Parts: sequence; structure tokens; C-alpha cells
Amino acid sequence: MKLALVGVGGAGSRVVDAIRGVEADGDRQLCYGNLLTVDISRTIGDGFDHVPREQRVTIGDTHREVDDGVGGDQDLAVEIARDDFPEIQRALDSITMGKLDGVLVAAGLGGGTGSGAGAVLVERLQELYDKPVYVLGVLPGTDDGGRAALNAARSIRSIVPAADSTLLFDNDRWVGAGAESGGGTDDGQGVEDRYRRANRELADRVVTLFARGGLDPASIGANTLDSSDVVRTLSPGGVASVGYAEIELEDDGGILSWLRSLLPGGRDAGASEERTDAGKIQSLVRQALNSQLTLPCEVSSAERVLVVLSGPPEKLSRRGFESARQLLEAETGTVEVLAGDDPRPGSSTVAAVVLLSNVTEVPRIDSMQRRAVDHERADARLQAAEESE
Amino acid sequence: MKLATIGVGNAGSKVVDRMVEFESETNRNLCRHVHAINTARTDLAKPEYIPEEQRVLVGDTNQKSKGHGVGGDVEIGAEVMSADVDEIRRAFDDIEIHNVDAILVAAGLGGGTGSGGGPVVIDALQDMYDEPVYALGILPGEYEGGRPALNAARSLQSFVNKVDNFIGFDNDAWRAREQTIEEGYEKMNRELAARIVTLLAAGETDDSEVAENAMDSSDIIRTLATDGVSSIGYAATAVDAQPEGLLDRWGGGGGADEQSLNDASQATKIKSLVRRATNSRLTLPCEVSSAERVLVVVSGPPSEFSRKGIESARQWLEQEAGTVEILVGDDPRESSSRLAAAVLLSNVSDAPRIETLQNQAVDAQEQIAEQEAAREQKINDLITDENDDLDPVV
Repeated sequence: MKLALVGVGGAGSRVVDAIRGVEADGDRQLCYGNLLTVDISRTIGDGFDHVPREQRVTIGDTHREVDDGVGGDQDLAVEIARDDFPEIQRALDSITMGKLDGVLVAAGLGGGTGSGAGAVLVERLQELYDKPVYVLGVLPGTDDGGRAALNAARSIRSIVPAADSTLLFDNDRWVGAGAESGGGTDDGQGVEDRYRRANRELADRVVTLFARGGLDPASIGANTLDSSDVVRTLSPGGVASVGYAEIELEDDGGILSWLRSLLPGGRDAGASEERTDAGKIQSLVRQALNSQLTLPCEVSSAERVLVVLSGPPEKLSRRGFESARQLLEAETGTVEVLAGDDPRPGSSTVAAVVLLSNVTEVPRIDSMQRRAVDHERADARLQAAEESE
Repeated sequence: MKLATIGVGNAGSKVVDRMVEFESETNRNLCRHVHAINTARTDLAKPEYIPEEQRVLVGDTNQKSKGHGVGGDVEIGAEVMSADVDEIRRAFDDIEIHNVDAILVAAGLGGGTGSGGGPVVIDALQDMYDEPVYALGILPGEYEGGRPALNAARSLQSFVNKVDNFIGFDNDAWRAREQTIEEGYEKMNRELAARIVTLLAAGETDDSEVAENAMDSSDIIRTLATDGVSSIGYAATAVDAQPEGLLDRWGGGGGADEQSLNDASQATKIKSLVRRATNSRLTLPCEVSSAERVLVVVSGPPSEFSRKGIESARQWLEQEAGTVEILVGDDPRESSSRLAAAVLLSNVSDAPRIETLQNQAVDAQEQIAEQEAAREQKINDLITDENDDLDPVV
């Protein structure tokens, strides 16, 4: 699948940078150089490794309220994005949409620019193009405070109905308390590292899900999923979550099973190994669903599902493949499950990526909304108090 | 019989590829013309025996497909194929129709391209040519889930209404478990190819060997002309294998006696082979007695044929299938080391898998409709806070 990448705000732009980094390291391409970052600031930000300067648009630089950014003020960001849209449009003109399947807008939804300008951009892109506009939204963590929760809660009310689908990443899960922090300390350096790692992980998943390798016949599976499958899975709209899990294969598995097949009763040994193999793939998919979702959610609330199993073709058993599909149909309670295989000859891992489309029960969003309402009320009280003074 | 063979979608193209492989391995000459039609560029790169120039990519300029398939959506499959029907007609223009007796369209019914696009292809062919058009349709297994079942149940109706005969293949019955994904499909496709080619290639020998009870294409066409759903049974044995009467051969001794014993054992061999084929795992499991017409092709070296064997096989089948419309014929393959029997059960009306497939499809359709109806409300509930206090940002 070929998608133009548009990063909005600091967090969104860094996600785009990370995706570009994953593309540069591997053989999989998603945007084919069609990318753009949009930020509101007086100065052009730095710290990008893969986004060329001419593809970074800075707006609002002459606006009197803008300093380093909008200071978390999403309404200000909306106003600036609307006023300065011609500048963004000029940059968009350099993207050859005709050859692409759609646009992916990445934004941090806790910040002012991502949540405000991001919403404006999704709206405008839908007017401009006759192609799907997907959003990759990063939800703020609990540590990011009430303002961030309010920004995100208001933003998803605009973005989710406007976008063709909104893939959400929960920062609590990825960077905050719930993240498997590789032992990093909590000083500034540690936090930055964790964000970097989280972005890299996020970028990995996006590329695994959307981007395909070349047309090497050895990498074409019996059921290769194509971009139409992804488009169809995402077409109900709403919010989507992506799960991923992988297992390392034992080096000597091949020789051992071969030896076993020579022994008396070798057939039985082979059959039981096959069963463990199916069991392994089931537990892999379960792992992807339970603990490794980008946005933890009630799996049974998903409307459509897509799963891709990748690994060395001789390790992708038919039984494992079938049981993965059956497991997903049972867990999600939907018949709309597309399953594909992605042979990677010589790979030492078997991986499962699961896309849950239109999940509608997400405790994290409920708690964020409550936090946002509290923050808004407290804000109003504060304002009223100030006015009465 | 001489055939133009067209694979639509991924599953259909693979079966056609295996048919051509089986033909070339057994020196048969059935498919005088092959085409693979698909909406996914990736899948078109896979066939090994279908020449590059006979592979047609459709929908590559269509916004919904762009050469990347139709996402298992039967409606988009039909839409994309219809939009490119002129391109398909152009591709079919080079079928040398005077050189073929019938057209076979192979498709999987569980996906989007074969199930949705297949009927469009069949319409075009029925329109262009007077020759009969048959379908070889692969039904998804129950384990493949509700959506493929729904696609197949809907598509089956279109296929059966449009073709002169629908030969079914049930993935459930043929599923082999202890294999990789790739091997599993290949094995099934090889089994199917052996059956369909053995059956339909009858009468097309390059040498002028005339069989005693030679089967020809008009017999096959007649048996298939039921507008119904059909199933194929198959059994094969090595020609040097001896039937039950092995010891009798040594016991006899006298020349004339030996000859008649030999005849008798050949007759038994053929009859038991036909019986084995009829009782074998059918491409679409069904009640044999529900068939309207039956055709049997016994294929192998002519020295193994026995008029008596064929007659007694016919009588046995008459009882078994409860119909007098039975043709049994032979198909001489001088150099073959195997004796094979392929049994075509035409217009079988009792195939349990079709019923379970339809039930699965009805459930799936209801579930999909429920989800679609509740969709907007559920999304709205998710993005709105409990008391609707928060305003959208834009």
C-alpha cells in the first residue's frame, strides 16, 4: 500500500520521521518519499533524521500569540491552520496523489497543534482528495495532565467522524507506567529514549501492517493480503487498534524434527509437533490480542479484523493458520476476518500482526473523557473566579 | 474433449495452473487455450504453467482495486470485473473457438474476485460463444469463516444459473491438516486437477488408437447438459497390480483357460476400480443416488480394458445411482502405467455441504447487518463523553 505521510505537530512529525527511518532500514516502502510535516512555530524545529527540510512546513510564524508553539491551545492551532492553509496546500501540491492509495496523518492528540491543526487537516484532505484519509493518533498518557486529556477528547470527536479510520496508540501503554521500559531511568534522557523507542515500535507496526515488500515470488503467500484487504477492513471507520507479537524459532528445530521422523513411531512425533505448532500460533495471536495492542480495548467490540502471519514458509502450518482465523472469529465475534500469510524465507521468527477495526469499547477513552470534563470544569471555575476578582 | 480453460481469481488460476501441469505430465491435450484473470497483480505472478501473455490483470485503473485485489468483497469483485468486461472480451477474442468443444471457468467462491467476477466472465463467454460453459467452483471450508461462506452461498446461485454445469469442489472434505499453508493448497489443487483432466480429456488422444467403447466429447457434453451441480469421483491403480484373482492365474496352465481367466480378472479389476471411484472421496461429497446422469471414463493402456468389465460396471452403477442415464467408456493411454477411473455424477441434488454453507451464510449475513446497523451509534458513543459536555475541536 502506498500512503502519503503527513505529520502534524511535534509528536506527529517525529512519528513520520520514525516511519521514514524504518523504511530506510528495510526493504518495505510505505510513502515512497511522499511526506510532509506541518508544525506551528516561530522557528523550524530540528531533530529530524529522515525528513528533508523542504518537506517541513512551518505555519503561524508571524502570529503574535505563537512562540515556540501554541502552548497547548488547540483553538489557536485550529485558527492558524485555517488561516495558513494555503501554505500547507502548496506543500501538498508536491505530492503526486494519483499514484498513492491514500493519506496517513500522524498527530499527537494531547498537544495543541496535533489535536487542533490535525483535525483541520483531516477535514481539508477529505475535501481535496477522493482517497482514504487515515489518522495515526497518539493519545496522551495520564502523566500528561488534564489539558492534554481535554485536547485529545475534543479532537477525536472531530477526527474520528472525518477520517476513514483512526488508528490509536495509547502513550500510557507505550511510554508511561504500563510500558515495558528496558530499565531506563526517569531523567530527561531516559524519557526521551523511551519516546524514541515507542515511536520506533509504532513505526514498525505501521510499516508491517500497511507496507508490502517487492514482487519477489518467494515472498508471495498462498493468501497474500493486499492493500484492498486493508482498505476493506478499515472501511467501517471509527477507531482501530493494532496488535503484534512474535516468537523466536529454535535454531535446531528443523534437524530435530527430521531426526525424529527417522525414529520408529516418527510419524506420531511429527504429528504432535504439528499440534504444538498450531498451538504456538494460537498463543501468538492471543498474545497479540491481549497484551500487545496499540490501544487496549474490548476485542469483542471490533467490527472487522485482519491478521497476517509472517515467517519462514515451512513453519507456517496450515493448521496454525486456520486456528488463528478461528480464534479471531471466536474472540471478536465477527465473521469479517481476513487472514493472510507473508512468507519470509530464512526468517528466524514467526510474527502475527492483527488489525482490529472499529473497536467501540475502549476504557482508556472513557477515562480520558472523564478527565477532560473535570479539567474543563476546573478551568471554567478558575476563569469565573478570575473574572469576579 | 477440447477445452478453453479460464481461471478467475487466485484459487481459480491455481487450479488451472495445476490442470496444465497434470496434462503435460500425462501427455494429455485437454486445455487448448488457457487464461488467468485476476484483480491482484501479486497473485498473477504465481502460476508456473500459464504463459505470461495469457494472464489478464483487471481493475488496475479502478479506484477500488488498482491491481491490489478486491479485499475479499464479492460486490467489488463483480463491479471491477464488469467495468473491465470489454478488456475481457478482447482477451477472449483469441480463443480459437472452432478448436474447442466447451469452455471451463475455474474459480474459488469464498473470496471476492472469483465469486464476484466469475459470473461476469461467464456472462461474457455465454454471450460470445455457442459452446457450453462449465464452472469448476471451489467452495470454502467451514473453518474459513462466515464471510467466505456468505460470498460462496450468494455466488453459487449466480454460477449455477449461468453455466451449463457447475462442478463443485469442497475444501472442507479435502482439507489436509499436517502441512504448511502452501503445501495444503497445492495438494488439493493437484487432486482436483487429476480428476477434472482425467474426466474431460477423454477422447483426445494424439495417436489413432480406437478404443472399443471410446468416449468422445459429445458423450461428456450430454452428461453435463443438466444445468445442475456435479461431483467427480476418482480411483487409480498401477497396471501391473493384480486384482483378487491372483492365484487363479498360476493355477490355470492351459492357453485358452488362461486367456479367459485373464479376461475375467481384468473385468473384475475394472468393475472394482469404478466402484472404488464412485465410493471415493468425491470432489463435492453427495448422495450418489441423487445424480441425474452418470459418466465414467476408464483411462489407461488399452491392453487393460475389458468390455465385460465396463458392462458390469455400468450395471452396478445403474443400481447404485438409480438412473439409466449411465455412460461408461474408455480412454486409451498407451504409455500410461496407471489405470484410472473418473466418475462424473451430474446434477446431484443432495450435497450436505451446500446446505451447511447456506446456513453459515445466513448467520453471517444477519450478524453483518446487525453490526452495520449499530455502527454509527457505537462510534458516536465511543467518541462522546457521558453527558456530552465536550465540544468537537472543529
